[in-house]
Formats: sequence, structure tokens, C-alpha cells
Amino acid sequence: MRFNSIGYMISEGFKSFFKQKKMTSASIIIMCATMFMFGIFYLIGENVNFAMSQLEGEQGIRVMIKDGATDSEIEKLKVDIQAIDGVSTVTFVSKSEALATVKSWISGSSDSEDLLDGYEEDNPFPASYFVTLTDLNKNSEVQEKIKALDNVSDLSTNNDVITKLATLARTIQIITLVLLLILVAISIFIIAYTIKLTVYARRREISIMKYVGATNGFIRGPFIVEGIIIGIVSALITLIIIGFAYNAVLTKMMSSAVMQSISISLYTFKALFARVLIVYLILGIGIGTLGSTISMNKYLKV
Amino acid sequence: MIEFRNVSKTYSTGSEVIHNANFKIEKGEFAFLIGASGSGKSTIIKLILKEENPTSGKIIINGKDTTNLKPSKIPYLRRSMGIVFQDFRLLPDRNVYENVAFAMHVVKATPRHIKRQVPMVLSQVGLADKAKKFPNELSGGEQQRVALARAIVNNPSMLIADEPTGNLDPNTAWDIMELLNEINLRGTTVLVATHAKDIVDRMNKRVIQIDGGNIIRDKKGGYDSEI
Repeated sequence: MRFNSIGYMISEGFKSFFKQKKMTSASIIIMCATMFMFGIFYLIGENVNFAMSQLEGEQGIRVMIKDGATDSEIEKLKVDIQAIDGVSTVTFVSKSEALATVKSWISGSSDSEDLLDGYEEDNPFPASYFVTLTDLNKNSEVQEKIKALDNVSDLSTNNDVITKLATLARTIQIITLVLLLILVAISIFIIAYTIKLTVYARRREISIMKYVGATNGFIRGPFIVEGIIIGIVSALITLIIIGFAYNAVLTKMMSSAVMQSISISLYTFKALFARVLIVYLILGIGIGTLGSTISMNKYLKV
Repeated sequence: MIEFRNVSKTYSTGSEVIHNANFKIEKGEFAFLIGASGSGKSTIIKLILKEENPTSGKIIINGKDTTNLKPSKIPYLRRSMGIVFQDFRLLPDRNVYENVAFAMHVVKATPRHIKRQVPMVLSQVGLADKAKKFPNELSGGEQQRVALARAIVNNPSMLIADEPTGNLDPNTAWDIMELLNEINLRGTTVLVATHAKDIVDRMNKRVIQIDGGNIIRDKKGGYDSEI
């Protein structure tokens, strides 16, 4: 295909985009609305993942080591834990460190400061390993495996937070995926319909093109260009709208008491911009191409 | 150039519109295809353009059997033919120049070639001064000239005209016929489907007459010459 025929297709595509004003704007609005809805869940999903990655570092499993385990057994336990899939880091906390930690918690209240004095001789706190995970979803799996190891007396973990977050993340992923499918279906239908109207309005031209020997690819070209333009324009408009909406919501949330009390930060739109842009453009271009291709086939049989 | 060998065509409704047609139009020939409405003229044109496929028999265009031509090759077959219709089929939102240039864009001609070729063809059909006009600003005869210019702009080896004078008054019709004759004299094979008796009589060319799907005459002469 020569360059000038590509240029011809693009210019024809633009011409028709501007000619069918009513229908193109209608389909852009509908596409924007569906893309916006999808975008909301996409952004929430990204932030939940972000929050989870922040929490993953803090949430871990404390593995209490049986008193009386020998140094080599303790060392072997570490190796065994590290070998489990999903484990990120394993940190040893000795009995005296555990005692020191607890002492430091208590030291705040003055009247009980010496409560733990004398325990050095007969330290009741077990030595432990603090295990962090690469993936919170693997939490229960890892716990099961650790429990099965020798010299483990007990596990303590913040199971609740971990499972809740994991469930939330998965729910949002599913909603986003379902919305994506609905968005794609609606948008393809809308674009196909718009292009069909253009094709219908230009059926005469198409039949003449067929008679003077235009290939199907050449006839299809401008319509596909038109579909892609609709897709890209919708993507860019939605990007701007969702950018402003996101920043407004973010500012509100960050100043709220709840968000200030927990130490989780959220993405700024700037940080997400490139990702959202790429997702939207892929969607827009893909849907535009598919929608216009579907609508053309009927009219090419002359 | 155009050859029909035992061609029959039955539409899916079951009616046979062409029955065992045999004829051969040589390169550089001028031929009329005549017959009443519904006689099968249009079907023959459609078969040549490969808009329809024959039920049986062979159609050979430029030495190539088109019977089993792949759909993707049809555009290239059509580039060897210029086509003119009764209703001109011009694009109303484009001016004369653009209507003709359009046919060149379609076959991916270079812009430079288009700039050279279109004015030349427009002057050949006598419309050099109307390049900027739109179809609705032209008379019927002028519109058909634009259609003719569009049909020959890519230098096809044959020109197929389906009732080209059907919508024109007799004088204008004759002008168009003279143009077709001129194009023929430059070496292009011309096939004209018509039922304009006076024109056929006056041109005195080869006449293929079809009636009820059968070719009942194929020889030089007027419209009503004895069979």
C-alpha cells in the first residue's frame, strides 16, 4: 500500500467523522460514559493493589519457635520457611529481643514500668520468625505449610485484615473485568451502528468504488479510520474528565480523618496517567477497528 | 476480449434469464446489446462485471476465464473496464474534477498522475471548463460526460455502457454516442446495452439482440433488421 492511499483513507475518514456530526457525537458520549464507569473501577482497583502492596510489607506471620529448639533446628526452620512459595523475607527475633519489645510497649505507662523486671532470668517470650509475604493472597496457604514444620509452637497473624484486603482486591478485579466486557460490547455495538449509518449514507459511493475497481481494503480503510477516530476522541475526553474527577475525590479523601489515621497513601492521577492513557487508547482503537469492520461486511458484496 | 461460451443464468427464484448465450466481442470492436426490458440485457452486463456468476458456461474476459475468479481478484478485473450507467451515478457532494479523480484514487494513482490525467480526460469529453461545477449544476448530457470521463480515466481496455442514453433527449443522446464512437476509435472495445432504436439504426454497428434470455441475432445492422 502506497503512502498516498493511506493519506487518502485518513483524510476521507476525518471528513466523514465531521460530516456525521449527530451520530458521531452520540456515539462519543455513550463511549465516554461507559469508559468513565470502567475507569472508576480501574482506578479503584489500581489503588487497592497499591494499598495492598504497602500493607504486604507490614502484614506478616509471626512464627513462634518452640522453647528448647537447638540453634541448628532454628536455622533449619528458617531455611524451610524460606523455601515456601510466597514467602518474601524471614527475620529472626530472639527471646531477649521479644522481651525488650514488650518492655518498650509497657514503658509508656509509668506505674507498671518495672512489671517485667526479673524476667531476664526466665524469659517467657518465645523466640520467633517474622515472615512477610510476596502476595497476600497466599497467606493461608503459607500458614498451613509453616504449621506443618517442626519446632513451630504457634502462629500469630493479622488474618482478618489480610483476607479482607485480598477479597476486596479480587472483587474489584472481577467488577472491573465484567465492566470491561460490558463496555467493549456496548461500544462495539455503538460504533458499528454509527459506521453503519455512514456506510449507508455513502452506499452509492461504495458501489461506484466497487465498479471502478476498488479493493475491499481500500473501501474499508476510511471507515476504519473513522471508527478509530471516534475511539481515540472518546478515550481522550474520558481521560480528561476522569482526571479531574479523580483529583477532586482524592483531595477530599486525603483530608478526611479516616485516611489520615491510617498510613496508606494513594496514587496521584499523575502517577496513573500513562497507564490510564494506554488502557484507554488500546480500548478506543480496538473497539473502533472492530466496530467498523463488523458494520462494513454487508455492504462490500457488490 | 469478451467471450460468452454456453452461458446460462438462473436466479435463485428459479427463473432462467439467460439461456445458452454464445458471443465473442473482439478487441477494438463496437457492439450494441439490444432487447426489450427484462430480456436479459442487464444480466449480461452484470455477468461481464462479475456482479453475478453464471449458472453454467464460461465467460472469458481478456483471455482469462472469470468463472472461478476469486472475489479478491474482482477489483482488478473491473479495472480493465470502464462502466457507464443510465443514471450517471456521480457523487453529488463532489465537483466534476473530484468525481473523475475519485476513480483514480481508488486504483491508487499518484497525485501527480491524477493532476495530469483528469484535465486531459475532461477536455476529451468537452468539459474542460466545468471542472469546478457540481453534478446538480450540470445538464443530463454533461453529467453523462462526467461519467464517461470517469470510466475512461484509468485507460481501460473496454467500456461497458448500460443504457447510457436512457435519461437523455435525442440530441444529447447522439452526442454521447459520438463520444463513445470516438473512444472506440482510440482502440477501446465498447459494448453498449440500449433500446434506443434510432441510435442503433444510425450507428450501423454490430448488434447482439436478446429476447427472453436467448440471443436471437448477432450481426451488423440496424435495430429491426431482419433476423
